[in-house]
Formats: sequence, structure tokens, C-alpha cells
Amino acid sequence: MIAQEQKPMEEILGYLEGKQKVVVMGCGGCATFYGTGDKKAVNEMAEKLTKEGKEVTKIVMPLGMQACETEKCSIFLQKKRSAVENCDAIMVMSCGDGVQVVTEYTDEEMGLAKEVYPVNDPLGLVGGGPKKFKETCQSCGMCELGKTAGVCPLTACGKGLMNGPCGGVREGDKCEIDPDKDCAWVKIYKRMEKLGKLDAFEQMNDPHEWSKMKRPRLFELEKPMGMMDMMGAMMNLNTISGYMSMMFAKPPAEEEEAKKE
Amino acid sequence: MTDEVYSDLMREFKEGKYVFTGELEPEKAGNVNEPIEMAKELLGLVVACNVTDNPQSFAYVSSLAASYKIQKETGMECVYQLRCSDRNRMALLSDVLGAGTLGLKNILALAGDHVSLGDTPDAKPVFDLDSTTLIHMIRKMVDEGKDLGGNDIEDPPKLHVGGAAAPGAAHLKAEVGKVKKKINVGVEYLQTQVVYYTDVLDKFFNELGETDVPILVGIFPARTFGQADFFDKYVAGVDVPPDYLESMRATKQIKDKEKKKEEVDRVNIEFFTGFLEHLKGTPAAGCHMMAVGYPRIIPPLKKIME
Repeated sequence: MIAQEQKPMEEILGYLEGKQKVVVMGCGGCATFYGTGDKKAVNEMAEKLTKEGKEVTKIVMPLGMQACETEKCSIFLQKKRSAVENCDAIMVMSCGDGVQVVTEYTDEEMGLAKEVYPVNDPLGLVGGGPKKFKETCQSCGMCELGKTAGVCPLTACGKGLMNGPCGGVREGDKCEIDPDKDCAWVKIYKRMEKLGKLDAFEQMNDPHEWSKMKRPRLFELEKPMGMMDMMGAMMNLNTISGYMSMMFAKPPAEEEEAKKE
Repeated sequence: MTDEVYSDLMREFKEGKYVFTGELEPEKAGNVNEPIEMAKELLGLVVACNVTDNPQSFAYVSSLAASYKIQKETGMECVYQLRCSDRNRMALLSDVLGAGTLGLKNILALAGDHVSLGDTPDAKPVFDLDSTTLIHMIRKMVDEGKDLGGNDIEDPPKLHVGGAAAPGAAHLKAEVGKVKKKINVGVEYLQTQVVYYTDVLDKFFNELGETDVPILVGIFPARTFGQADFFDKYVAGVDVPPDYLESMRATKQIKDKEKKKEEVDRVNIEFFTGFLEHLKGTPAAGCHMMAVGYPRIIPPLKKIME
């Protein structure tokens, strides 16, 4: 998922200086998980802007309805077409993908040249949770994980080095740049040690092929997923049992305690 | 791999001489007058001098321009430091060709500190290559006359490439694993980060095991307390011993300039005598004296090694 946090209010209000009618649009994808584009976040933003004297129209996108997917996004924009037509600005509470899909759709499909502004700052593709997340992949187009014991040094190493730690590893195997972060290469070393693959550690990895990341990257699906396929994928029994397990299973720590008792 | 010798530094390694090198630091200025003066003072004391490339990620005069000018105007052989932090592989290749064109004979290939540690923290860090792949690229250019993509180089540069090692790294096994990578791709000599503790050095040599690659051990006799304190606080992978730091701090109280100099020299000679005596019993091929702006300390320290 794409982690994100809301921009400072001063910056948001800066975009809206001299503007009166505002559409606040949420996102039912990653932004809903991070509380930066769900219904509650949209309501709170609308309230703040109303207090600043703005006339606000809200567009809430429920879970599974992402602003970054044109097909889904368009349904919600079309529903509020007259507000969108008459507004001075659209504030999108999603990552940059969502903001740009809204910009492109309103401009090229709806024929409306509107000022579209980001409410959030995207912070990267992250894994982990439910509370702490870390950036582990930068979608570089040429996955190196097979050479590095399953840890991406391009992302997890502060310098993105492909061949071992820099000379600045700190006490506790922490990063030279930030003592709160682990050194990725020490982690790779320890993984290779456990896997009995330390010989590979001493062999050079070729420089990363950045040619696989020619921006902007375009991507085409041969068989796009239809709405019915998507609903089927979301509503199957395994999904439901997965969510049930998350709701009722004891957290690992509690389980350990229970065993001891 | 070629056995050609292009530089005096490499000649001394091959002849088995105990090698001494120094360090010059270009600054944020439109000239290299000061390092040139320092180079003149170091002539005859060291076989070659490193010319630093944006040390600690402070942006200074280009080390390529500085190395060329210092070598040309003083005759001091320069070791052109080249770091990956600020250049992609094309720029690195161009600069290596530039170094060959300008008659430079040694490159020290470094990853470099992260830009966020220096005076231009908003810069985009590059690190397209790392120290190992940079060493590999340079050897390929010199030995095969090819670039990384296999394209031919007309009249390939004739120079040697060294690499760094950090005996004080928190995870020594991973550090040594990386040093072995550099050896595997053909690094011609190694220069360690500054070391103050003999046991740190011994552990490093033990972990590395036998190698034919000559190793210069880095020492840093500080000219002022501020220099020593900066190293302790800000240079990654280096711890300055507290007793040495305290002795240096005490020199701050001395008002008479000459007496202060004498005391600073005494503190350094006292501290480094033990270290250098110990160094004689290690596999080190020489000593890199990172005494920036402090050439007068080199003769007494060299005397200890005789």
C-alpha cells in the first residue's frame, strides 16, 4: 500500500486562498487504511474548510473505490458533476496517483479545466502494520531480492548500495544516516549466514539496471478485471474467514501468555 | 589483470617499501592555494597524497580539478578520491577518463557519505554505483579498455585503483565480507578509515585473513582539539579514545601559540608512539597519515616506524 499523511493545514489553506467553492474528495483505497481519505477524514476536512468560510461539497469513496482507478473515480465525480463544474478547486485526499487521475478525468473526459490540489503527502510503498509500517519496495522494475536474501538494499539501505554495508554502520547495526533504522546490509549478512549462503556475500552484484525504470512507466493489462470479478474476489469465503480471524484471534503476545498459564 | 606500474605509490608497494601517504583537503573556495602550500610541505615526507572528494558530504572544489592542479604545480603525486554519492555511472566514467587525460595515476574509489550528513542535505543522493562496482568499472576500463557496457575505450587510462575498509565498523564480519568483494573485483590496495585502537585493527586483520593486497592503515593526528572532537562526533565508524580527546582538550587552555603547538605535538607523539609500535607487528603495508594541515607531525611519527 501507499503510505501517506495529511499535509499541514497552512499549506492546504494556501492552495485555497481567494477560492470559495471547494470539492473535497476522499479515496477508498490506501488513503482509507491510513485514515487520510476515508469518510471520517473527508468530514473532518470539510468541517475545517467550512469554518474557514468555504462552501464545501464532499465526495466520499467507500472502501474498495479508489481515486486512482478512473472507472471508479469517474462514477463519483459524475454523480456530483454540477458541484465539480461550479467549484473553484478540488482537494483530493489520496496519494499523487488519485490526484492525477482526478485531474486527467475532469480535464480530458469532463471537459472541465479545474484546479486540483493534493491534501496528502505520499510516503512510499510500505509493508508491515497494523501500527508500524516501513518502506520495503520502490517498484524499480527489476527485483533484486533473489540476490540479497529477501531484503531490498536499494530501498532498505539509506544509500541504496548493492554490494555490502558502507563504512558507517553504527553500534547496534544501525544506519549511518539514521540511528533509528537498521543497516540493511547487516540484515542481509545475517540472513545469508542463516541460509548458509555467505559465499555469495563476497561476490559482486552487478550495478542495478535502472533502464527498467524509464519514467513514466506505462502498463497494460491484457484482461482487465471487471467489476463483477472484483466483487467476487472481495466477497469470497476466504476473505470473510480472514477478516474473522483478524477480529477474533488473540494477538501473538497474548497467545504466548495464555500458553504459560 | 595487469602488472603494469603507473604510479610511484604502486611502485613503492611493489618494491615492498613501508609506504606513507598524506591527505589534502580542497575547500569551498575558487582556488586550491592552501592545499598546494600543504602539498609543498609534504613533498619528500609522503609518496602520495589523497585529495578528498566532498568529505563528509560538504561540497568543495572538485577533487579532479584539485588533484590535477596540485600534482602539476607541486609535483606531489595525487590520489584522486572519487565517490559515488554525487555522480551516476556515466559521470563516474567521464571523470575516470578525465583523470587519465590529466595524468592522474591513482584513484581511491569510495561510496561516500550520504548527502544528508553534509552542508547540502536537500541534494538528491546518487549512489548509482557503489565502491565495489566502481572499482570493477575502473579495472575494466584500465585492463580491458572497455566501459561497463562493453564499449571500447580508445587509449584507456593508465592508473591504479584503491578501495576503503572500515576496521571500526559495528558489524565487522559484514564489513570484511564487503572488503573481500573489493579484493575479488581487483582492488589494487586498501586504505583503512582512521583507527585509534590497536585491538580494533587486530580484529580486522584477523577477520580478513591473508591477502596479497597491500593495506594502508589510516591514522589521524589532530592539529587541534576541534578536529579530534569533530572526528569523534561526526565521522561515521570512528571512535576517538576519551583519554586522547581529554589531552587534546587540555591544550586549548594554553595561550602561548608556540607552547600550544609543542604540547599538541607532544600529545600526538605520546599517543601514536604506542599505536605505531604496534602497527609494525601487523600485516599493514604502510600508513595513511590523515594529518590535514599538520605536516610538521609527520617526520616524528615516521621516525617511530624506522
